[in-house]
Amino acid sequence: MEEEMEISSSTQATESSSSDIVSRARKLLFRRMLVGIKDGRFFLGSFHCIDKQGNIILQDAVEYRNTHRSSPSPMEQRCLGLILIPSSCRTSCHVDCSIEEQLSLLKFQ
Amino acid sequence: MDRHALHQPSSSSSIPATANTVWADASSLLEAACKDLRDGELIHGENFNLYAAMSALEIMDPKMDSGIVNRYCSFDEAIEDGVAPVPISSDKTTDVQCMIDIMDYLLTCEATWHKGHSLAQTVFSCAYLLRPERTSSHALLHSYCKVIRATCKAVITVVSDARTHEEEDLFTMAYGLPLSGDGDEKCLSLLNAVEENISRQLRACKAPSSKRKPLEDIEPLQTNSDLEEGYCKALLCRLRFRKHFFHVLTCMRRPQGRGLELARKHIASCISELGIILKSAEFLMSNAYGTCEDGTEDRTTASGHQAIGFDASLNSRISAPTPPRSIKILSWKKAIEYFEKLLHDLDIICSYPLDPSLEVLLRFVAQFQKAQPDLVARAHLQLLLVQDGKLYGRCPMFSLIIRAARLPEVFLHHDIQKNEYVVQLGQLVINMLKILCTNAAWQRRKLGKILQDWRVIYVQIELAFRKEFGEGSSVSNGENASARILKHILIWVEEQTYWISHRFLVLGFELELYSPSEYCMVYWYLYVVLIRLAEKTHLKMTVSDGSAKQKGKKRKDSPKDLARDTRIPPAILFLQCQICLAEGLTLLHAALRNELMVLQSPSPFNSEHERFIQHFELLQKACIPDHISYPSFKESTSCARFSTLVMYNYFKDAQNIAKEVRSGFSNDPDRLAELRVLEQVAEHNSIALNVICQVGALDPSLKVSFEFIHHPCFATVVVKRS
Repeated sequence: MEEEMEISSSTQATESSSSDIVSRARKLLFRRMLVGIKDGRFFLGSFHCIDKQGNIILQDAVEYRNTHRSSPSPMEQRCLGLILIPSSCRTSCHVDCSIEEQLSLLKFQ
Repeated sequence: MDRHALHQPSSSSSIPATANTVWADASSLLEAACKDLRDGELIHGENFNLYAAMSALEIMDPKMDSGIVNRYCSFDEAIEDGVAPVPISSDKTTDVQCMIDIMDYLLTCEATWHKGHSLAQTVFSCAYLLRPERTSSHALLHSYCKVIRATCKAVITVVSDARTHEEEDLFTMAYGLPLSGDGDEKCLSLLNAVEENISRQLRACKAPSSKRKPLEDIEPLQTNSDLEEGYCKALLCRLRFRKHFFHVLTCMRRPQGRGLELARKHIASCISELGIILKSAEFLMSNAYGTCEDGTEDRTTASGHQAIGFDASLNSRISAPTPPRSIKILSWKKAIEYFEKLLHDLDIICSYPLDPSLEVLLRFVAQFQKAQPDLVARAHLQLLLVQDGKLYGRCPMFSLIIRAARLPEVFLHHDIQKNEYVVQLGQLVINMLKILCTNAAWQRRKLGKILQDWRVIYVQIELAFRKEFGEGSSVSNGENASARILKHILIWVEEQTYWISHRFLVLGFELELYSPSEYCMVYWYLYVVLIRLAEKTHLKMTVSDGSAKQKGKKRKDSPKDLARDTRIPPAILFLQCQICLAEGLTLLHAALRNELMVLQSPSPFNSEHERFIQHFELLQKACIPDHISYPSFKESTSCARFSTLVMYNYFKDAQNIAKEVRSGFSNDPDRLAELRVLEQVAEHNSIALNVICQVGALDPSLKVSFEFIHHPCFATVVVKRS
């Protein structure tokens, strides 16, 4: 009986990576996400997808950029639609959430 | 740790989350989650579609991300950094040198744009053009920028109005670009003022100092008196070229071709100024400051020095989300060559006498297209031909049709012009004229498509004719004008349909759409179409002559008149010559296949029948001609043998006809030239045929090829020993 349960739990693990962490990441889907990249731009869109390498796809993305290198300066924005941000150029990643949720996210620091 | 966790992105003040939410750093969570993922596994929602995700723009990929922060975050930052200083230099000589470089580079950008690239990447890569107010303190730069903007606007208007630029659709894209600067229409008056000033400066520097009157003592253009004359002249020819070019555009746009003569004068001035601009290169190169670009042939300015103030990335964000493909700006020399050709093509258009005959017009357009004019010239031609639904803006389509159908002028005001089919026919003619002004590839595709429309209108008019006038085909003199008009129109519509088919087939040669193994069927189809074309043209001529004769006073026909009647008109003989050539080429090709087993269709992918359908589908669909199909082709060519060919030499016939009909075209240099070429082809092919017949079957080393060395459509048969 125990053996069976062990087998069934391991098969469950291989069928879908339903680790706790991945489920929590899944909860972030469709939320507004703000991604900063190396050249100083920011992209705001709905979190659509992420892969193992950390490449992120945002839907209905808007690009924000400073009009001058030295902040503060007014920002320009532009609509881009569906975009893919390679993990190599990503410098920051923030999600729009309530204060309570933020506290739970803190657990991962 | 806490501080790090609560860290908001620096932009959060300007990119706020909602009222009750904050930005929380998710990177650690995501990193941990990614570690737990298996290879190839994604975190995505139910609506995720991998195929759709492929269309996502990849950030930081230069081919997809037009917003990559390069050197400057914005146009203002670039200006602050001195990308486009005003004045260009505090030293007047340098300022003038740089100004000339800017003028030259703008010319090359303009030519590159005309050749099919976007305005934003070419002309408007010039920072000086992007903010008109900035240049107001520098008269020369300011006036030049104004005339450039006004010229670009005029050219875009012409091409947009012609609306046949779908294939060159980058051309008219000008979103967000300041094409209509304030007061740009007055650009010429400003330019004239600047030109006048520089002319005075030129006069002043040429006059010996003793003779210089105090009144004429004006400030020189720049500081080096040895170079004053050279720089004044270099500037003047460039300013004058722009002035005259702008005039050409405005004159040619005047309705009903009223400005064509004046345009020709300005074109001549443009060409002469271009010559002076070219000559100025020597002076400019020898006095250039700084380092020159490598390779004087590729240089983009006369001096060889790179122009200041150009950066295509400055306005890349104004364009679509994806960046345009990278382009290469033409060299300065090539740009001048482009404008020379453009002006030459525009001159041909301006010298056209606006003939009310459709026949003459069609020949003119076909001849004009042989020089492969570019988009701007073709757009001008189209707008000249079709304005307000009338030919040249003044001849209604009905009158054009009446004349084309060789009906007497008295019918020009006949009520039948209100008939719905006649009106539709007028529309088809307008459409055809517009199509004939487009580039070869677009033209051929569209001509193929309209064949069906022309067939349909023929059927409709014929049905209407039969319904009203019954089956009687007698065209009685003045009995029923409507019947006569419709009868003539029907014949002309058939002729015109075959003319379009002929052009469709011929353009295939120009576009190299036929492989050598397919020449047999192509020449065969051409032969069949030409025969019908000749038939209908001849019919149209005899029917109109016949009715004309009936109207004349009754008199005894002299033998001379009879002889004249039986003589075939030169236009028909011209077609007959081509028919013989086409027939000869068809049978020669067929005989080579049948007897020597050469030029077979080697493709394992489609059969000859399939290729036949692919090439002639549009013609077949429109039943052009009727009862012609692949089996008829096979029937005509399967028995082709050299023994029969040599007995009846079609090429010899073509040669003889060409010689005979020369006198009929003494006033037409273009047709005479073509006749000469056809004669050459006929002569060569006749000889080749004899050689093959005598030697061919015995000598396996003989190589026969079809080359277009004389005529673009009728091949010359070349026989070689391999």
